[in-house]
Amino acid sequence: MANLVQKTLPLTKTSTPALQFLRFRGKINIQRPKAPHYERARVIAVTQPKYPEAPKSKTCFQSRTERFQQQVENPYNDIIAREVRNWLEHSQLVAIFHLNSITSDEIFKVRVDLHKQNLHLKSYGRKIIGEAVKDTRYEAIMPLFHSNHCIVFSPDQQRVSTLLKITRRVPQMVLLGGIVEKTLLSRNELMAYAQMPGLQAAQAQLVQTLNQAAGNLVQQLQAHQNSFVQVLDVHAKGEAKDSTQESKEETKE
Amino acid sequence: MSVPFSGTLRRSGGIVSAIGKQLKSVNLKGVKRITVQFDPFAENVKSTREFLFLLSTPKVVQTNPKCVVKSDIVCDRKPASIKFSLIDSAQEQAKVKEIRFNSDNLNTLELLQLCNKHVSSLAPPEEVTNKVLTKAEKQKLGGGAGGGKKAPKKK
Repeated sequence: MANLVQKTLPLTKTSTPALQFLRFRGKINIQRPKAPHYERARVIAVTQPKYPEAPKSKTCFQSRTERFQQQVENPYNDIIAREVRNWLEHSQLVAIFHLNSITSDEIFKVRVDLHKQNLHLKSYGRKIIGEAVKDTRYEAIMPLFHSNHCIVFSPDQQRVSTLLKITRRVPQMVLLGGIVEKTLLSRNELMAYAQMPGLQAAQAQLVQTLNQAAGNLVQQLQAHQNSFVQVLDVHAKGEAKDSTQESKEETKE
Repeated sequence: MSVPFSGTLRRSGGIVSAIGKQLKSVNLKGVKRITVQFDPFAENVKSTREFLFLLSTPKVVQTNPKCVVKSDIVCDRKPASIKFSLIDSAQEQAKVKEIRFNSDNLNTLELLQLCNKHVSSLAPPEEVTNKVLTKAEKQKLGGGAGGGKKAPKKK
């Protein structure tokens, strides 16, 4: 039983001090404070803070510029600029549109239709885009963002024709230009790119053009032989026709 | 000697409210078609683009839903221009077929002011359609005629 009792060291025993309350229900006085003692007043006078005096002859414009200079740039803008730069670098197709007055419902419909085709509709402020593309190779697209705009990003470049098809239905979106595979294209160039066949078809066309030179030579060499063979064919057919006609006449008789 | 009062009693609201004021008085009733032509990579296209945006707002479109606003994007760094093709009655009034603004060196407010000066004034005046009379108005009109009839009936 004795070893169950907790043994405490003698000096560790603590007790709360006796509390004596100064005020009881009375209202405290702050409106008519007592004049401080001279010494106390002296200390207070010495320790009063001294603020710099505001210049009396500053114009309104000066104070406004100072106020704006003191404003710190929001660091969130840097994060969004980084996001823009990321989108620009990782998308093969970037199309920039001028946006006329449009309701949110309509732009949402467009956004959904584009999203189904792996095209992402985004819009950022001019200052943020400026910060994102400054000192990069994308600086040339800056003049397109002076007015209301939107940007469409796509990680693959074969979607140009689908993009044009969808945005043709939207009269408020006006195509201004775009970047395809790190090449800046104007509106006409972008539309021509959409009309062009795919890479494989273009390669096939190139092969055909290359073969055409050799093929032309072969054709020229074989021209006489081919025409002779054709003439013989016609002659043979004519003879065969005559013989069948004769045999028909004989059977009739 | 007191100086007589000079200056404004109210402060101006700035360029934005000036644009808003001009926009309220834009009337496209006399216009058949508006073609806005600009090169997006050229300089000084901001005002043209802003004007195009303002023309597409619902209030302006409502003044004439039949008027088509077409934007023509070119790639040869031509200076921007805005063409208003007028309807027949407006053409007779103005003696021109279309009005063209070279908006390269104009800002948005000036464009709107010029538009109001030249285009909105050509809008044909609205025709008063048949007004639906309220009961009180009908009684007032018919009261003069039917008052004589009513009096003997009451007796």
